[in-house]
Amino acid sequence: MPAISVRRAAFVVSAAAAVTTVLAACSGSDGGTASSSTGASKAAAARVATVTITSAKGCELDHTSFAAGGITFKIQNKDATAVSEVELLAGERILGEKENIAAGLGGEFAVKVDAGTYTLYCPGAATEKSTIKVTGTAAPVDNSVAGLLKAGTDGYKRYVDTQVGYLLTNTKKLDVALHGTNLAAAQDAYIAARPFYEKIEPVAESFVNGKQNLDADIDARANDVPASQWSGFHRIEKGLFQDKSLAGLAKWGDKLVADITTLQTKTNQLTYQAPDLANGAQGLLDEVAASKITGEEERYSHIDMVDMANNVEGSEQAFAQLEPAVQKIDPNLAATITAEFAALDKVIDKYRTTSNVSGYVLYTSLTDADRRSLAAAVKAVQEPLSRVAAKVANA
Amino acid sequence: VTANTSRRRFIGGALGAAGLVAAGGAGFSVARAAEPDEKSADPAAVPFYGAHQAGIATPAQDRLAFAAFDVTTPDRDKLQLLLAQWSAAGAQMARGLPIGAVESNPDSPPYDTGEALGLPPSRLTVTVGFGPALFDERFGLAAHRPAALTPLPALPGDELQPERSGGDLCVQACADDPQVAFHVIRNFARLARGTAVMRWSQLGFGRTSSTSTTQATPRNLMGFKDGTRNIKAESADEMNRFVWVGAETEQPWLKGGSYLVARRIRMLIESWDTDYLADQEKVFGRVKTSGAPLTGTHEFDTPDLTAKKDGAPVIDLNAHIRLAAPASNGGQMILRRGYSYTDGIDPRTGLLDAGLFFIAYQKDPRRQFVAIQRQLGRNDLLNEYIRHTGSALFAVPPGLRAAGDYYGKSLFG
Repeated sequence: MPAISVRRAAFVVSAAAAVTTVLAACSGSDGGTASSSTGASKAAAARVATVTITSAKGCELDHTSFAAGGITFKIQNKDATAVSEVELLAGERILGEKENIAAGLGGEFAVKVDAGTYTLYCPGAATEKSTIKVTGTAAPVDNSVAGLLKAGTDGYKRYVDTQVGYLLTNTKKLDVALHGTNLAAAQDAYIAARPFYEKIEPVAESFVNGKQNLDADIDARANDVPASQWSGFHRIEKGLFQDKSLAGLAKWGDKLVADITTLQTKTNQLTYQAPDLANGAQGLLDEVAASKITGEEERYSHIDMVDMANNVEGSEQAFAQLEPAVQKIDPNLAATITAEFAALDKVIDKYRTTSNVSGYVLYTSLTDADRRSLAAAVKAVQEPLSRVAAKVANA
Repeated sequence: VTANTSRRRFIGGALGAAGLVAAGGAGFSVARAAEPDEKSADPAAVPFYGAHQAGIATPAQDRLAFAAFDVTTPDRDKLQLLLAQWSAAGAQMARGLPIGAVESNPDSPPYDTGEALGLPPSRLTVTVGFGPALFDERFGLAAHRPAALTPLPALPGDELQPERSGGDLCVQACADDPQVAFHVIRNFARLARGTAVMRWSQLGFGRTSSTSTTQATPRNLMGFKDGTRNIKAESADEMNRFVWVGAETEQPWLKGGSYLVARRIRMLIESWDTDYLADQEKVFGRVKTSGAPLTGTHEFDTPDLTAKKDGAPVIDLNAHIRLAAPASNGGQMILRRGYSYTDGIDPRTGLLDAGLFFIAYQKDPRRQFVAIQRQLGRNDLLNEYIRHTGSALFAVPPGLRAAGDYYGKSLFG
């Protein structure tokens, strides 16, 4: 698997970081895997890829070969209603993505890549995956376990920052809708914003400091906190899906935007250590087991399957960042976890639907047998995953 | 959001741990458990290895934790690995040891869950069985399915709930301490994750059978001594004739094993409690307090099934002890090893959900349990007060010879 070469120098040296890196010993490698900008600048090859998504043909690219370095993907979704995002993958790791490109919309994202083979992934498209070849002078890759872990924690940092960015963008849209008069549009905006929080929830949970609890401010359910302090997504959810009224919701929307802005400020300053990723991945699966499978999370909208799918994706992404290192430390364990995640994805995919805007069946239509098979698939990942933190802590 | 923020350390948590050297190896507990089984000096330890699995001829312990599992993997190797892990873990626990380190690496969950730490072996036995469905097409075992391992036919009085019946694998954990027994089921379920899931489980809080001449006959929840005439482990002849699979089997791998029939028999306790004494005694054919047959004076007096008084049989023609007696069943006997259970109240009715978790061992369920139950189910006076709500049949392989042997090893060849 090619190492990710995208680096934002700023975060590694962030003076505000709450945590010094365990891997200080290899901190000198910060620039070591920087992209081969020299080779790239010489190459006359394409720097821009145009991605056209159609219902008939799926995801189509005008170029599939690139020189190492920066690539911008410009995406236009013409009429594929089943497709809402495009991702660039190295193995299972997401290097870059654009979400919320519904039919009729477009967008772009940029990545820097080393030589190697990548996959452009358009979930739900007639053609879902296209292979992309990147050639040129490969950047020197640090293939030591420490180097791979460093690449992984950096990659996860990028992943979280990206998701929090999307979270803020979508929460602002929700807030706008809450200030408006269209209930259905506000409900859709709620559903659109939820996935991004669910992917990175353990990060938000880490900002609990005495009475200050950002996670509770953003995501508490009724009764988790005294009624007078209840705010955040689920307060809004109750208004939208139970009371079915926008009355009084605008102030909660404003507060949610403020809280998520705070969250972004904090997460942008964070750096991560390898065990954080393992524990975060596990924490997300705990979320699934504790409150999603039981339908306790989305009490009014019943979009628990959306949360579940995104908890799992966040978990999978955190593990995928560690996978190259775990592969070296304990190949069997890496293979087991990868296989169990794939099996879990398969179970979750059974509940995808186009019959409602969330993209998944509502919790209320799940049977006990459904819940049991979901729970078993989650447990099957949790057990081997629980052994990763110790492996990478001392690597 | 979690109601209580996750205690799992996330950001920054590993800082302190990073400086620690990993304690213990990364190897799984099986490696450790496969050490030669030293004879434990603890008198409360029942030997794990032997010709037969423990937990059948072992004098019945006070507590039961039982579970049935469905295998979810299509991978034969994973199934074998699980059975090997269970074997090693069982050997550890039977000696009163954890299945792996509880305190090892601060960044790892403990290998053993820890709730039995410091508790004596408590005569723990772990008995594993294979259900009929394990021999379907999934694992290439169809040719090894014994003819007698056929799902039990529908029997009179069945009100079976699928979610309390069947299973590919079973584990019977018996001990004198309930926490020691439960520890087995919990850790076996954990070892099984990704390979098998628990289908149903049952706790038993008190033994209802004596399987040794050294034990007094306990009472069931109806207040009667039931199973006075049980097979006793001291009778090698009866064990060989009725319990252990022998040369008669067409499946050599099962020789020295047995068949386990489990039936969850709910008692309609509230109705029973309003039945008058003479009728209760008529139902069983025994005196309630002494346990003596209605034709005798002591518990172990042989019931006289021919005795009459005023022209009528003293022991009713449909009394439980008459219909269950070997004389009424072509001489057949079974080794009963059941436990009383309660699962709280029936949420629909508010009535107690309690009764007998019946376990019986035999060498051929077709000629033994099925034949006897047909007899009982059709006519037994007791039927008015009981409902069979769960049912399962398992082939119990012979004992493991020594560390390194595992459940079904010869089966996988």
